[in-house]
Amino acid sequence: MISALLYLQSRSALNRFRTRLKRLKQPKYLIAALAGGAYFWFFMLRFWLMPGKPRPEAALAGVQVFQMPVDLLQGIGATILFVIVLAAWVFPHERAALIFTEAEVAFLFPAPLNRRGLIHYKLARSQFAILFTTLLLTLFSGRWRAGPTQAFIAIFGWWLILATLSLHFLGSSFTRTLLLERGISNWLRRGLVLGVAGGIVTAIVLWARRTMPGLDLAEVNGIKGFTEYLNTALASGPAPYLLLPFRVALKPFLATDFSQFLLALGPALLLLALHYFWVIRSNVAFEEASVTASEKVAALLTAARAGKGAHLKPMKRKRDPFRLAPTGFPPLALLWKNLIAAGQLFSTRIWMVVLVQVVVMGIAMTSIGRGEHQAWPAVVGGLLIGLLAMSFVIGPNFARVDLRQDLLVADLLKAYPLRGWQVILGELLAPVAILTALQVVLVVAIVLIFTPEPKHFPLATRFACGLGVVLLAPALNCAGLLIPNAAAVLLPGWMPRGKDRPQGIEATGQAMIMLFGQLFVLLIGLLPAAGAGAGVFFLGKLLLPWPVVVPFAALLAALVLAAEAALGVWLLGKFFERMDVSAELGQ
Amino acid sequence: MIEVLGLTKLYGEFLAVSELSFAVRPGEVLGLVGPNGAGKTTTLRCLAGIIPPTRGTITVSGDDLATRPIEAKRRIAFFPDEPRLFDYLTVGQHLNFVARIYGVPDYEARGRELLAEMELAEKRDALPAELSRGMKQKLALACGLLHAPSVIYFDEPLTGLDPYGIRRMKDSILRRARDGAAIIISSHLLHLVEEICSHLLILQNGKKVADGTLAEITQRFSQHPETSLEEVFFRATSGPAPAPPPLDPPAAPPASPP
Repeated sequence: MISALLYLQSRSALNRFRTRLKRLKQPKYLIAALAGGAYFWFFMLRFWLMPGKPRPEAALAGVQVFQMPVDLLQGIGATILFVIVLAAWVFPHERAALIFTEAEVAFLFPAPLNRRGLIHYKLARSQFAILFTTLLLTLFSGRWRAGPTQAFIAIFGWWLILATLSLHFLGSSFTRTLLLERGISNWLRRGLVLGVAGGIVTAIVLWARRTMPGLDLAEVNGIKGFTEYLNTALASGPAPYLLLPFRVALKPFLATDFSQFLLALGPALLLLALHYFWVIRSNVAFEEASVTASEKVAALLTAARAGKGAHLKPMKRKRDPFRLAPTGFPPLALLWKNLIAAGQLFSTRIWMVVLVQVVVMGIAMTSIGRGEHQAWPAVVGGLLIGLLAMSFVIGPNFARVDLRQDLLVADLLKAYPLRGWQVILGELLAPVAILTALQVVLVVAIVLIFTPEPKHFPLATRFACGLGVVLLAPALNCAGLLIPNAAAVLLPGWMPRGKDRPQGIEATGQAMIMLFGQLFVLLIGLLPAAGAGAGVFFLGKLLLPWPVVVPFAALLAALVLAAEAALGVWLLGKFFERMDVSAELGQ
Repeated sequence: MIEVLGLTKLYGEFLAVSELSFAVRPGEVLGLVGPNGAGKTTTLRCLAGIIPPTRGTITVSGDDLATRPIEAKRRIAFFPDEPRLFDYLTVGQHLNFVARIYGVPDYEARGRELLAEMELAEKRDALPAELSRGMKQKLALACGLLHAPSVIYFDEPLTGLDPYGIRRMKDSILRRARDGAAIIISSHLLHLVEEICSHLLILQNGKKVADGTLAEITQRFSQHPETSLEEVFFRATSGPAPAPPPLDPPAAPPASPP
């Protein structure tokens, strides 16, 4: 049976790799893979793989961390592992569930396999992820450069840590379920675990206070003094007893030579074996919870692949944003529909989080203002101006309640008695409205707050500039949104959607190409509008004060941009009418 | 009234539909049948204006779908095998949205009527996720019928329906035909076709094999008018029907006592 399961795993991995390799025959995937590969090479891999190349500090950090004393590293690492393991006993509330794919549930659960067989399969499958993470961590740490022995120690050491942790998570989930079955609720378990852990930690702190000199940060001799204090606290008294199993798991990884590694290997393997027997001997019914959890994960994946965002929150009925009359300009129906869709994203909780953040930021800025720095309005205003600028550049990538969302129902849209331009315009209206509303709020806040040089920047001037931005915003947003929507119509295969969506390197490459393309086209499109606006501004400035001219210049630029956008909508509509959803989208 | 002349659809070099010509008059129900991959769904999608044909013309009540698509589409309703709904719109909001798209001034009264007919009146505020498969299909049907289409296409209309739903769907189709709609149904369920279709179009590999009334087609492929549509279908598409599975041999009589 195990051989059949291993066969399933190995063939699945091989076929997945082959499929992705075959896909590179299509230029869209090949170009994306090359772009993504180039990005990873130039920004990451070459610093790790080519020792002669200058490396940024971030890449070196992984190596430098190992310059600490091994004892201290052991202590810190063991403490981190302790916290991770503690979290596994405190936070989860659900019953033990092994996540399988839908196909695995369909094939393996009715098969003549016992629970142990399923657990073994799950453990074997988790090894792929563990080995991949191991290689990645070894690469990141840069320790492999110290020679083959160190590379081996790093790889095997990481594997031992991750495999032990993985088994511990599984074992703890089984034990949690057993406790639930015996009437020990989640809250009681949490109380017990936190009580015991808190007691031990309190004992350690009390011991440290009594036996060690107090830590006076003012007198600590830099980082070295602090690390020495920490090392003593972790290596003497009761702490070593608490951290012993965690140190055992860490020791092989932190071994400086092969003999040390061999000495540390025995206890670490014993710990791993104990975990294995704990998991295998746990007789817990996990099937039902596994099916539910697996269904959830499958739904999550399907939603993510369909471009609906990887959330499983049930949708709520949203009120009509405005009364939609049954007759009239049809694109307004699409605006109405997409505003309802956008309403799903703005729940009360999200508004509360935003409100809390704004209040916290406001209080922080106010407290700065009360101190020596009286320029808090400039700081907040500057932040808001940055946010406003960003909303024009990257806003169109976030406000996706347009054709990108509706690409999945492109066949439905094509069956409606609407012209192509009506569909495109209707789809663009909602994100334009959302972004513009956000920008108007920002502009109002900036006009009221931003006072860097009150003499040269009075309220009237700020108002004129704000009015200019508000006039420009809808046309600018429309132009910005046209580009990703044009990509959805002209290159639908590049939009993340369905099972065929790119993954890994290809996805990175595709996202980069799209972003650069979008910026390039937007800049080109802005040139005529900027030229017209600048012309009016410089001519008007000869006759009138410049704040008076700004809104007129912005209005003309907006008109030019709106004309460009209208042309774009019309052209894109023509392409949409000709779009073959069967050939392009497989619908 | 639907008139199709020389409809051809190519995907690259693959010929999905080839030189298809036929007509469906008001009140007629045309059954579009054929083996898997015969081109039924592609044909329906071309007729609904969802995908552009490579060649040929499609006319809906005198309006060419290529040159006057808006006028033609206003008369059409297309029901795919899977109901296509918006996850975030309630039943009532779906009707409101569709009303604006098709310009149905009296949508509230018509919508109430349709929801009552589909037994969805209680579900007006429900989201699609709260509806069963059959109810979703009914909602799609209500949306499609809201603008009183005179040309209706169904792709596998009985998929996922319970016996009550099947009965209601058949009645609904026949009622629309009696009211003068021209209807095309694509289905693998030959008994459905036999029961409600007045005409038949058999496709194979994208080509028309037979076209006419049920009686005409039966006569063409069999000497006996009682021959079942299933037998006719097999003869039309692949020669004689496969032999039925052998019956279990009768149990041997118990040995009589000496």
